[in-house]
Amino acid sequence: MGLLNFTRDPVPEAVSGDMHNLNQLSAQQFSALTEVLFRFLTEPKEVERFLAQLSDFATMNKISLGPLKNIVKSILLVPNGALKRNLSSEQVRADFIALGLSEEKASYFAEQWKVNSPTLTRLAVGQTLMINQLIDMEWKFGVTAGSSELEKVGSIFLQLKLVIKKGSQLENVYVELTLPQFYSFLHEMERVKTSLESFS
Amino acid sequence: MAALREAEFAALQGLLKAPSKDAVRQLCQDCFSSPPAGLGPLAQRACPGLAAGPEEAEQLVSALHNLTRHVVYRGLTRAEDILSLFPENFHQNLKNLLTKIILENISAWRNEAQASQISLPRLVDMDWRVDIKTSSDSIIRMAVPTCLLQLKIQEDAALCGNNPVVSALTVELSKETLDTMLEGLGRIRDQLSAVANK
Repeated sequence: MGLLNFTRDPVPEAVSGDMHNLNQLSAQQFSALTEVLFRFLTEPKEVERFLAQLSDFATMNKISLGPLKNIVKSILLVPNGALKRNLSSEQVRADFIALGLSEEKASYFAEQWKVNSPTLTRLAVGQTLMINQLIDMEWKFGVTAGSSELEKVGSIFLQLKLVIKKGSQLENVYVELTLPQFYSFLHEMERVKTSLESFS
Repeated sequence: MAALREAEFAALQGLLKAPSKDAVRQLCQDCFSSPPAGLGPLAQRACPGLAAGPEEAEQLVSALHNLTRHVVYRGLTRAEDILSLFPENFHQNLKNLLTKIILENISAWRNEAQASQISLPRLVDMDWRVDIKTSSDSIIRMAVPTCLLQLKIQEDAALCGNNPVVSALTVELSKETLDTMLEGLGRIRDQLSAVANK
C-alpha cells in the first residue's frame, strides 16, 4: 500500500478485509450505507439514531450487525482523517482505492464527500477550542430617575448581560456602561468587524 | 420639609469660631463627601480647629453634612433658594459665606453623587485583539480569524470604598457572534437616537 493522504500512521490490518466485504455490496446498498454515514458525520450528536439506522440496514440487507459495525469503523477512518487534513475529493478517492475499495464505490464516496465537506469543515472549526466563548448578550437601557443622593437625575444607563462559556459551565456577567462608553464600545466593535473581515 | 432642624442650624453657627473662610470651605467639602459613618472621625479631627468640644463638633459636622447633601439632593442652583433654607435669625455673614461656598461646589458635588451612585459593576476599560487560528486538533490547517475582547470591570464603588476591585474578563468571539452582537448594539443605538430626538 502506497502513502495514504488521510493518515501517516499504519492502517489496522482489518481494514483491507472490510473493504473487500464492502465491494460485495450492490451499488444501491453502498449508496444507502453512505447516506447513513454522512448523516451521522454531519450530525455527530445523533449517535442513537445512527446506531438504529445501522441496525435497520443490517436487518434489511441480511448482514450481521457486528461485522457491519467493524466495516463502518474502517470506512470512517478516511473521512475523519480527510477532514483534519482538508483533503480534496480526488485524494479521498485515491485513498479508498489504495485501501482496496472498488473504483466505482470510491468515486461515489468521494462525490458525497465533496458535497458534504463544507458542512463538515464548518463543524470541525466550530469544535475548535475557544476561551471564554461569548454565547449570548442581553441588554437593557433606561433612565435613572432619582437616587438617595439626587432627587432628580435623568441620566441614561445601559446594562449588558454577557453569557460566557467557562469550560463546560455558563457564567453571567453584568456590566453597566455610560452613554459615551457605549458609543466608544460600538465604535471599537465595528473596527474589530472590519479587521475580521479583512482576514476572512 | 425643612432642610435642617432648628437645633442643627444653631449648631452651624459654631462655624463662626473657624479660623478662616478657607477652613470653612474645606470643612464643607469634607462634610459633603464623607459618608454618615465617617462623620464621627471627621468631627474629632475638626475639634481643635473649631475650638469646640467633641459633642459640639459632632453636631456641627452632622448639620453641615445634612445641609450640603440636602442642597445637592434637591438640585438647588440659585442663591435665593439656598438662602431661603436658613432661618430668619441666622447670622447674616455666615449665611452668605455658606451659600457662596455651596454654589461654588454644587456641580462638582452633583457629579460626585452621580459617580458614587449604586450601579451594576461598571465597565472601566476595554481592549481587543484579532487572532488567526492556524491549527487545532480538529483541523490541522486552517485560517480562522477570531476576536479576543478584554473588559475591565469595576465592582460597585460604594462597596469597595477607596480600593475599588477591578477584574479583567477576557472573552472570545467568533465572527458570527460579533456580527450578532453588532446587530444588537446597532439596535440600541437606534433606540437611543429615537429617545434623544423626542
